[in-house]
Amino acid sequence: MVQINFAQKSVNLKVVYYGPGMSGKTTNLEVIHQRAPEGNRGDLTSISTDGDRTLFFDYMPLDLGTVAGMRTAFQLYTVPGQVYYNSTRKLVLQGVDGIIFIADSSASMVNQNLESLRNLEENLNEYGKSLATLPHAIQLNKRDLPDAMPVEELGRLLNPHNAPMFEAIANTGQGVFPTLKALAASVLKNIMNESGQKAAAYQPPSAPAPHTGAPHARPSVPQRPNAPAPVRPTAPFPPAAHPPGPMHGLQPSYPHLSSPAPMAGGFYGGAPAAPPMGHGQPLHAPHAHAPGGMQLAQPGAYGTGTPHALSQTRSQPRPALSLTVAKPGAPPAPAPRPQRAATTQAPAAGKGRAHASKAKPAEPQKTSSGKFTPVLIMGGACLGAVLAWVLMNVL
Amino acid sequence: MSREPMSRDENLRNSRLVFYENDVQRLNAEIDTFLELSKARCALLVDRDGHLVTRRGEPVRTSEETVSALIAGSFAATREMARLLGENEFAILFHQGTRDSIQLQLIGERTLLATLFDGRTNLGMVRFYAQETAGRITDVLHEIHSQNRSADLNADFSSRAEDALDKLF
Repeated sequence: MVQINFAQKSVNLKVVYYGPGMSGKTTNLEVIHQRAPEGNRGDLTSISTDGDRTLFFDYMPLDLGTVAGMRTAFQLYTVPGQVYYNSTRKLVLQGVDGIIFIADSSASMVNQNLESLRNLEENLNEYGKSLATLPHAIQLNKRDLPDAMPVEELGRLLNPHNAPMFEAIANTGQGVFPTLKALAASVLKNIMNESGQKAAAYQPPSAPAPHTGAPHARPSVPQRPNAPAPVRPTAPFPPAAHPPGPMHGLQPSYPHLSSPAPMAGGFYGGAPAAPPMGHGQPLHAPHAHAPGGMQLAQPGAYGTGTPHALSQTRSQPRPALSLTVAKPGAPPAPAPRPQRAATTQAPAAGKGRAHASKAKPAEPQKTSSGKFTPVLIMGGACLGAVLAWVLMNVL
Repeated sequence: MSREPMSRDENLRNSRLVFYENDVQRLNAEIDTFLELSKARCALLVDRDGHLVTRRGEPVRTSEETVSALIAGSFAATREMARLLGENEFAILFHQGTRDSIQLQLIGERTLLATLFDGRTNLGMVRFYAQETAGRITDVLHEIHSQNRSADLNADFSSRAEDALDKLF
C-alpha cells in the first residue's frame, strides 16, 4: 500500500520477493544490499532460522533519494519459501505494491514453482488483489544450472499475465537489478495511474496486448540482461541526493507541551505531577473539566506524584485533546464531583498508588450556609435545660 | 469470494493513506500530549503495512524504517496467532526489556502506536494514556480518510524516480 506523506515529503512503496524455498529471494536482497550505495540502503534485517532459512521475512529499505521533492523509498521484503510457512508468507503480502516472483529454473523445481505461484495468487486474493492487476515481474533464477528449463517453457508456465521476465544468476548479481528496475517502473507507473484517480487496471509495460490468446502467444520473449552486472565499488556512485542529517530525516526533538497556547478544557482532566524527567516542563493541569471527556474525580492527589482517579464519560464526541496548564494562584475550577464511583483509575506512578477509596466523605459546608444555626440553638437550649434540671435536683 | 459491504474500518484498511502536513501536525499533537502524560521516551505511529507515519519524542537509536517494519510484522504475526486461538486479535502487545520496553497498540484498523519507555514510567501509565490517545488518533485517521483527497504527485514523478533508480545501480 503506497504511503504518501506530504508532511515528511515521502513516498513509501512495498515490494515483496516471492517464490519457492531456496529459489534465491534472500540472495537477491543480499546482492542489492551489497551493491547499493551506503547512503541509500538501510540495514538488511533477516528473521531466519539457525539454518539461515527465512522464518518470517527479510527486510531492507532502499532509498532513491529525493524525487520531485518527495523522498522516495522502496521497502523490500522477502517471504519464507517453504510451504509450511504460508501463514507468515501471507502476512508479509499485506499492503504490497509490487511482487517479484523468483522462480528456480531447475527442471526438478517446476512443480514447486507452480505451487508457489498458485499460492501467491491465493494469498493475494485474500487481500482483494490479484496478479492480473498488481504490478509484478518474474525472475528466472539459477540459469547456470545444467538442468535449467528453457526460458520459453518457464514463461509459458509461470507468466500468464505477460509480466516482465528476466533471467538471472542471483548469486553472481546477474539479472538482479534489471528485475528490480522493471518492477519499480511498473509500480511507479501504477502510482501515477492511481494518483489520477483513474480506476484503470495495471498494464504491464512490456505487454502491448495482455490476455491476447493463449500464453504461448506471448509476443515479447524475455530478454537476457545485457551483461552480468559487475561488482561495483561504492566509490564511483554519485553522492545520494539525501536530506542532511540522519537517513530517516525526522527531527530528533519534539515540541514540548509548554506551549503558551491556552489549553482549556483538558481531556485528561489533569496530569500527574511528576518530577522533571527530561520531557520539558512538568505539567500542572488540576481541576480541568471537559464535558464528555475525562473528569477529575479526586483532585486531592495532585502534586504528590500519584495519578488521579478519573472517571470517563463518552456520551459526547471527544473534545480536542489539550492540557490545562495551571496558573499560579488561580482558583480551582468548579469541577462537579461525580456521584458514582470512578469507573477508570489511573495506574500507579512509581510506588504511589491512587487511593480513590480513601476519599474523605463529604462534610457539610458549615460556613457556607446558616441552615445549621437553628439546630445549634436548639441543641444548646436543650443542654442548658438538662443542666438546670440536674443542678436543681442535686442541689 | 463473497464479500459483505465494506465497513468504515475495512474501507480505511484497503485504501492507501495520504497524509498532508496538517494531518501529521494533528497526529503529532496528540502523540506529544500522550508522551508528556505517560512520560514515555518516544512513540512511533506505524502503518500496518510497516510504513512509518510519524515519530515523536526521542529519536530511535537505529533505523526507524526497520523498527517500523518489525513492529508491523510482529503485530501481524500476533494477529494470526489470535485468530488461531479464536480471538479477533490481540489489540495490545508488550515486550519487556532490561532497560527499555515497548508497547504496541492497535489504533483503528490499520495503524499501530508503538511506545518506547524506560524506568521513568511504567507499563500501567503507558497503557492507560495510550488507550485514550488511541481513541483520539482513530478519530483523526477517520477524518483524514473521510476527506476525498488525491495524491498530487508531480506528473513526472514516475519517470524521475526511474531515473533515480537507474543512477543508483
